[in-house]
Amino acid sequence: MKRSFPGIHPRVFLRNSRKSKMRRAVFFCLFGAAISLVSVQAVFGGASFFYKELNLMGGYSTRDKWVDRNDDMLSSVGFEYYGKFSNEYGDYMTADLQMSIAYDSTKNSRDGWGLQVQNAWLEYKYSQYTKLKVGHFDAAFGLEPLLDTHSTLLQTLAGQNIGFTRDWGVEYRGLYPYFDYEAALQLGSGQGTIRRQDGSYLFTTRIGTPATKNLQGGISFMNGRVLKPDGMRVWPKNELLAEGTTTKTRVGVDGQYLYGPYLFKAEAAYGKEDKNNVLGCLAEIDYTLPSNQKCEFELQFKSWLNDLKPSSTEFSTMALGVTYKLTQSSTIRAAYFHGFHLTDDSFREENKVIVQYYFLGI
Amino acid sequence: MNNAKIIIMSFFVLVVVHLAYAAVGCTLNDPERDIKRLFPGSTGYKTFYITIKEQGGEALKKEIELELGDTLEPVYESIDVPYTFYTVLKGKDVIGYVHGVNQKGKYGGMQLILSSDLDNKTIDFYFQKMSSPEAGKFMDKRFADQFKGLTLDNFMKNSASIDDPTEKSHEDFKATLRGIKKNLILIRKLYLKDGHRFSPETSGKADLK
Repeated sequence: MKRSFPGIHPRVFLRNSRKSKMRRAVFFCLFGAAISLVSVQAVFGGASFFYKELNLMGGYSTRDKWVDRNDDMLSSVGFEYYGKFSNEYGDYMTADLQMSIAYDSTKNSRDGWGLQVQNAWLEYKYSQYTKLKVGHFDAAFGLEPLLDTHSTLLQTLAGQNIGFTRDWGVEYRGLYPYFDYEAALQLGSGQGTIRRQDGSYLFTTRIGTPATKNLQGGISFMNGRVLKPDGMRVWPKNELLAEGTTTKTRVGVDGQYLYGPYLFKAEAAYGKEDKNNVLGCLAEIDYTLPSNQKCEFELQFKSWLNDLKPSSTEFSTMALGVTYKLTQSSTIRAAYFHGFHLTDDSFREENKVIVQYYFLGI
Repeated sequence: MNNAKIIIMSFFVLVVVHLAYAAVGCTLNDPERDIKRLFPGSTGYKTFYITIKEQGGEALKKEIELELGDTLEPVYESIDVPYTFYTVLKGKDVIGYVHGVNQKGKYGGMQLILSSDLDNKTIDFYFQKMSSPEAGKFMDKRFADQFKGLTLDNFMKNSASIDDPTEKSHEDFKATLRGIKKNLILIRKLYLKDGHRFSPETSGKADLK
């Protein structure tokens, strides 16, 4: 039987009703995923954590005025489940599911809400030296797989280089006494929605020194046909900025060195993007205040050249950040970004200040 | 705001405002490689997360501080920090333990990893992270070798003789000794409590051997 709602056009009601159903579905999807993982893990045994997460951001940009986001990072609330599966012979699998509901104020209030998936993977210990990972995780290129940048205001080169940090796929990881290697084959779909179109794929591989040394280094390779997603939403499905793929081939180097209160980080990537030769680099110094080690300062320079020809465009950013740990679970961060966009006939600048409160606790 | 939105936000707010534990304490960056290196005969390991809060709360914290001879730092050493313990296995048999702690150094955090046998005697020790400018001297094998065979009793009775390998980093040397002592205390107080090894499957207790 058809029901009538005075004052609401049937088509508008239908659309609103669908959106309401969709939000309920998002909620049940989140809740269901968390409960399922906790239950499965309880049945199979092992140790686990269920973290609650809150990310609140706000700031001012000379280009966009008042902002509540930092590039693709939005204010969000969510959870992370991290668990080890084990039997009498030891741990054999690790699971991580990190999801959140984020609000994008640049969209209208009805379309602003969305479900994001940061981590969603299972890693099976194939032998004592090899692991196989399936799901949504970092591409194996540069500094990104080594650092936890999920909540930080200062990001690696991955956003410019690959176009996103995480994607759906499989990864093989191995250990040798003096180096680690990892190779990932992903959909090239970009962070968020599982999709494959126009022959998209992303192959990345990195060989590096063990992550336990004060001086670490690695070399990476990438080949792929990659889509350009708008944002990180899984549901509602994020849109594409272009229908077709971009062909990418890269070689990269990265390094980190911890010396006293200083942590130096650097990475560079060179290769082809469709027919253009591209080059990017990042250098960062982190300084922990010895007298108050809850406080850390970060200085970062990042640059990306879209084409090495004289008519190329260059995007560069200088960032100064400060992080203060309030408790084990709560952190406040602030960062100032000075960005400049250089083309052969114009020069644009942007100054931006972002303040963030981040909570991750059990 | 419609009902669905209210439900979603309420759920997440409730989840978030729930009293927070802390993020996990020191875990091995590379457990497969590290455990195989520390115990070449091992075939696997099992991970456990234990907090002072669930094993005894404030009273246990006071006991730990008394043995340590120092107070625990309220942010980095709070009672809700889950400590990670690795039970090392050869087949189904337990052959040793690995445990790491975070320790504040002069210039930043340190991560100290200790492996011990079934009698809780130290087999090996290394820094997973060391922020001292003289890190090389601390991470030298000759420094680590001084800790082999030591137990908590050696630290409690001051019967361990450890030489400072550095010239200008005595503060980091003292922090290292504090970290190792804290590590041994936590193994005894949290993991090998009352003569039993921690095991969540058997109400928190399992036979030691």
